[in-house]
Amino acid sequence: MYDLEFLSPVSSGPLSTPDGGLSLEDASASTKVLVRAARNTAAGAHLKVTYGRSRHRRDGTLICGSRPGEWTLLADPGRGAELVASLPDEGFVSVVDITHGRAMFRLSGADSIGVLAKVCNIDLADDMTPDGAVFSGSVAKVTCDLVRDDRDAGRSYLISCERSFGGYLFAAMADACAEFGINVPAGLSVH
Amino acid sequence: MIVVPCPNCGPRNSSDLRNAGEVVPRPDPQTASLHEWRSYLYLRENPAGWVTETWYCRSGCRRYFTIERNTATNEIRDPGNS
Ligand SMILES: [Zn+2]
Repeated sequence: MYDLEFLSPVSSGPLSTPDGGLSLEDASASTKVLVRAARNTAAGAHLKVTYGRSRHRRDGTLICGSRPGEWTLLADPGRGAELVASLPDEGFVSVVDITHGRAMFRLSGADSIGVLAKVCNIDLADDMTPDGAVFSGSVAKVTCDLVRDDRDAGRSYLISCERSFGGYLFAAMADACAEFGINVPAGLSVH
Repeated sequence: MIVVPCPNCGPRNSSDLRNAGEVVPRPDPQTASLHEWRSYLYLRENPAGWVTETWYCRSGCRRYFTIERNTATNEIRDPGNS
């Protein structure tokens, strides 16, 4: 499956405000690997982060503690086989490449908190969801996994959902961005 | 809005969760009679007052947990502290 071409559910290119202060881009092609492991396994010890937190591994992989006893590994496209092979598999461990089953977007910029607050009921304040926080909740009525993964330029969120909701969710996010100055292309309207 | 305290995710709007109903002890499948299965599957007390119930954190940690809830006031308490 690793030579399978990735088909994104999103047809739009990156959207941003003229000053670049707010941007929304499709990151669905990113490698996504789901790991479930009992706490006392080598895989659990290797991944290290607890539920609700994330860390960047030296090879660029973002390791997210997405549920109790469950992790999601996010990386550049095309790294599925490598990530699956990188995990110790002794004990009660399951590792599944879910790249083709999930859509993912990156929402960045100082106004990203304002955009997300319109469509998500999670407390986005720094003391509740600081950089590195991993959380799940409803975004525009779609159950999503979110990671706050700030970039040099500032606040940034990775938002992922089941692939079949991806087209709608990107359009809904773009719509939420409109009042902050993003020009929503024709054909991407949710109304 | 009912705020339900998930042991993993903290307080959440009940719309993020699913009420899985009153906690009912499961009968032994080897020995249960049809009457016991019917009670287990369908018959509930549904009191106007305190009930021990299971909730599923569907938008958060995807785990089931048990709370006590007063169905008349929506006051919620931990079953361990009642
Ligand atoms: Zn939860």
